[in-house]
Amino acid sequence: MKKAIGDNMIRKEWGLEKGLDLVKQAGFDGIELWLGDMPWFQLTTADVEVRELRRKIENAGLVVSNVSTGLHWASPLSARDPTVRGRAVRIVEREIETAVLLGTDAILLVAGLVTEEVPYNEVYQRCVEALRPLAEQAARAGVRIGCENCNAEHRFLISPREFWQFLNDVNSPAVGIHLDVGNIHDTGFAEQWIEIHGPRITRIHLKDVMKKRGRCGDQSVYTNLFLGDNNWPAIRAALTKVGYDGWLVAEMEARYRYAPDQQFGDTARAMDRLISGRL
Amino acid sequence: MGMTRRRFLGYAAGAATLALPFDLVRPDRSHWAAVLDLKESCSLRESLAGYESALTGLALRRTALIVPAALTLPPPAVRSIVSCLQAGGIVLLESGAGFAAGRDFRAHRVALRDYLHLRVEAPVPLWSAPTSAPRIPYVDYTWPSSAKVRDFSRAVPVGRQAGEVIAWVDGLPVALKRRSGRGGTLIFLGSPLGPALWAGDAQARRWLVDVLGLDQPCSCANGGVAWDASAAGPLGVVPVAAPASVR
Repeated sequence: MKKAIGDNMIRKEWGLEKGLDLVKQAGFDGIELWLGDMPWFQLTTADVEVRELRRKIENAGLVVSNVSTGLHWASPLSARDPTVRGRAVRIVEREIETAVLLGTDAILLVAGLVTEEVPYNEVYQRCVEALRPLAEQAARAGVRIGCENCNAEHRFLISPREFWQFLNDVNSPAVGIHLDVGNIHDTGFAEQWIEIHGPRITRIHLKDVMKKRGRCGDQSVYTNLFLGDNNWPAIRAALTKVGYDGWLVAEMEARYRYAPDQQFGDTARAMDRLISGRL
Repeated sequence: MGMTRRRFLGYAAGAATLALPFDLVRPDRSHWAAVLDLKESCSLRESLAGYESALTGLALRRTALIVPAALTLPPPAVRSIVSCLQAGGIVLLESGAGFAAGRDFRAHRVALRDYLHLRVEAPVPLWSAPTSAPRIPYVDYTWPSSAKVRDFSRAVPVGRQAGEVIAWVDGLPVALKRRSGRGGTLIFLGSPLGPALWAGDAQARRWLVDVLGLDQPCSCANGGVAWDASAAGPLGVVPVAAPASVR
């Protein structure tokens, strides 16, 4: 397995080059690029600039693990407004395009957003319908769309069987799950998700979670690896069982308040321990 | 029928000269439901899919034309609506203008006013205003049967005019029924029903079935004016329901 971390961990004041050096020095193999999060990778970033971004990453001794985005929180595929939905589709298309330019074969998608206003059945149906043509585009580009399990945050596809049925309904090998082992909170167990989805897992987000806390104001329920309630030996065993040998991507919502560069090294070391199985 | 005689004759003449890509008019006791695909003037494709899916296989007692998520009303669509109403059928016209931008909504409003004498108000966002109490997210239909169907975030209220208000949301009148043509019935929905059908809402489907099962059979059964569905011209009219058995 290979280790990556999101470019949104890089402080803007550091700049891309210093950030890439830090990622490399910390021991990561790759970097996850978040479309729309950082100044160097926006929807408006032209193809030539994306190629230049790839060159900088490779010059730093890294590769792009995958393309992700948080833009679908504001513009979900499940929106009722056709204009918003069109924007959501365009974001996925740009993720696919840039994945090809950046030399990776996976993108992340927050597939739908259930709200008090837009109910579950609509969201489900709309996401399936939207994903079918996008799956064809992705397949032609040699890219897989990983729908992230955001469980409590998007209130959608909350159990692993439900997610499995959703992927069956989309019915394309180009659409799988970008599994986040922290997002499951107290609704289940990450190792069971891994076992159920196995080959459909496109990438894995790593973070730990304090299952009993729940969101409380601005306090995060997430924490650094091995500080929370995830059963990491079981997670590691499940990865072995399903033969997952792809990217592990650190997604640390809870940031170090001091010495933020330290978090890169600490996280990489923890991931090494997870990969080695010495838990 | 809220249309001038001159304008109606114009549409009827136009319809007569159109090529007939399909024939939905049967001079017998058969009745059909057809969903009119307005193409780019349909703002919600899922609404179209919802009606098609809900009506497939139903036996009907009345000829019906459903126009899902209408943004503008191209002349062939108006001709179809008029033909159906003149034939004593039921037309269910669903507004798709809830999310329309200002100019598009104005065109929507003008088309409804000029062609069908329907008066509508600007779309109302149902969820954006902060409220102290939780919202109840349903449109309440009162005719032909009571039903609660999820709102669609924005609604196009109907103005004061002839006809009977048959649905309300947040105290706003959002659907209207009016007798029109020769025994026809025009139903205008300011809050789309199709997406709820598409999402599998059983109560929405039952309401639709109740609407289409109402009233006396189509006048064409008695040799009256036949509904010229071919007036749809280049638009797609999809027959989705089987004819009812002859009683």
